[in-house]
Amino acid sequence: MSIELKTSYGQIDISNDVVATIAGGAAIDCYGIVGMASKSQLKDGLSEILRKENFTKGVIVRQEEDQLHIDMYIIVSYGTKISEVAHNVQTKVKYTLNQMLGLSVDSLNIFVQGVRVTNP
Amino acid sequence: MSVKVLNGKRFAQMVIQGANHLSNNAKTVDALNVFPVPDGDTGTNMNLSITSGAKEVKANVSEHIGKVGSALAKGLLMGARGNSGVILSQLFRGFSKHIEAKETITSKDFAQALEAGVQTAYKAVMKPVEGTILTVAKDAAKKAVAVAKNEEDIIVLMEETLKEANASLKRTPDLLPVLKEVGVVDSGGQGLVYVYEGFLAELKGQRIEDIVPTTTMNELVNAEHHKSVHSAINTEDIEFGYCTEFMVKFEEDKVRDNPFTEENFRNDLSQYGDSLLVIADEEIVKVHIHAEQPGDVLTYGQKYGSLINMKIENMREQHSNLLFEEDAYPAPKPEVNKKREKFGIITVAMGEGIAELFKSIGAKAVIEGGQTMNPSTEDILKAIDEVNADNVIILPNNSNIIMAAKQAAEVAEQNVAVVESKTVPQGMAAILAFNPTGDLADNEATMKEALGSVKTGQITFAVRDTNIDGVEIQKDDFMGIADGKIVLTNKDKKAAAKELLSTMMDDDAEILTVIYGEDVSEEDVEELVSELEETYPDAEVEVHNGKQPLYSFIFSIE
Repeated sequence: MSIELKTSYGQIDISNDVVATIAGGAAIDCYGIVGMASKSQLKDGLSEILRKENFTKGVIVRQEEDQLHIDMYIIVSYGTKISEVAHNVQTKVKYTLNQMLGLSVDSLNIFVQGVRVTNP
Repeated sequence: MSVKVLNGKRFAQMVIQGANHLSNNAKTVDALNVFPVPDGDTGTNMNLSITSGAKEVKANVSEHIGKVGSALAKGLLMGARGNSGVILSQLFRGFSKHIEAKETITSKDFAQALEAGVQTAYKAVMKPVEGTILTVAKDAAKKAVAVAKNEEDIIVLMEETLKEANASLKRTPDLLPVLKEVGVVDSGGQGLVYVYEGFLAELKGQRIEDIVPTTTMNELVNAEHHKSVHSAINTEDIEFGYCTEFMVKFEEDKVRDNPFTEENFRNDLSQYGDSLLVIADEEIVKVHIHAEQPGDVLTYGQKYGSLINMKIENMREQHSNLLFEEDAYPAPKPEVNKKREKFGIITVAMGEGIAELFKSIGAKAVIEGGQTMNPSTEDILKAIDEVNADNVIILPNNSNIIMAAKQAAEVAEQNVAVVESKTVPQGMAAILAFNPTGDLADNEATMKEALGSVKTGQITFAVRDTNIDGVEIQKDDFMGIADGKIVLTNKDKKAAAKELLSTMMDDDAEILTVIYGEDVSEEDVEELVSELEETYPDAEVEVHNGKQPLYSFIFSIE
């Protein structure tokens, strides 16, 4: 599945992986997020922060008709205002996708999969 | 006057002053906001965050500074908005954690608390972006710790801390390219500086309003224009067509009848357009606005005094010029900062396929040229500069180009060696003998040696009747050339090719490379190759589409 853009010279296909990578990259720029989590983490019962090369596993890009939906599974830092961090991720990802691909995201759902406590 | 011990009440006042000062300048911070998302709300967000902190502090004023700190942290956490707001809440969470158990604090405690705040803030981020509020807080705290070693006066400490915060803020454009591009400092960092200015003002017993904004009008105007560029894409989409800047010098009698307040002034002006910026002091007010009716704006300004330094620009005109210019002159290619290499090999070839072939085996640059189209010394010199290497090896692949290559080698500043290859197969054999770890002289020697390891056969056609080397040649005949010597002619190119090879192939021949030219069809090549494989079962036949003109076939026999 991929996203198709039609131009006067022909078609551009952007794979969902590209969208996921850009979304993931934009998200980790945000303050308060310590990583992406695997989508199946709850099932596995493992609290694992995805490493950079596969953090797209925590970003699910779905297309329904003409609409683009993104689910992101993140881990946040303890002591931050979680709703606000999630909101920041939403704005940043939406903005970055728009800037880099000209895509407008219809919904961007954030699933906070974990909180990392660093202070004892 | 000095402050050596800080108690809860005083600290509460510092927080309130800091919040007020940030609140007064929230619009300035908004205008600077280009990172991480240029939505111009950093100031608003930070203001809401710290106001929530200050509110909690006001409700819990106590002599015990640890308790005030906790209240501040809690209020900030509850009210945190936006990236900068969350960072601010983390900075003071770490700060208050450090002083939690203390009734009063000294300059050392204060500095260490700032440092603790920075540590907490950095822990909550996966990939800290330098050049933001984080950097400003970090630099300031580091300075504070250093100063606190020998300084007991918290006023001096705060002065030094603020000075460093400001210096760090000024450095943010060097760390974050997007800021440099727009020509502004980081908005979150600026917000933090306002908070620190508020702290210092309280310590010195001053009132906040006296502090002059540190950001210049130009920075703000740049940031506003940047934001407009983001939103306005079509010339027709520009809603407010004139960028209007002016100052009003207050006149006493006018201001007496019509008292000036920055807030009302800004509100009134906002109806005329967007991208509004207003900065005022006792004597003048500076205005920047994008308006459709600049005259009305000026008339409004005159209610308060006389107009000075006016500038009005038609943005639609500018914008369509800009678009026109972009169309007319394609954007210059970005200068690629190539790493200087130890070796660069330049070769001369005709035909895209051959050029590709050369590049695939290690040539840095391929100059278009060959029989009947010899590159000049200047072309070669240009290529030498382009490869950007300390040592350059030139393979002319044609006896007619060797002279030009040698001349270029003499003129060039780099160390240049010319390996006198006379044919394309020789050039290829030479490149394959190249050893990137060796020095120039060694390579020159081994590559020259490699020239002899390969035999070259070429099939081309005659342009006129002639008699060379005892061979009678008629126009349009195909000629077979073995190592530069014409050995046969034939009316048919495939027959010529087979005949030529029969004179050149021997038992030592292991690899036969066929490079076919633009005049040869795929079918012809397939036919020829299968025949050749049959005739010479011991040799490996390799085929490349050289797309070269003039030569139907180039054979390389090793």
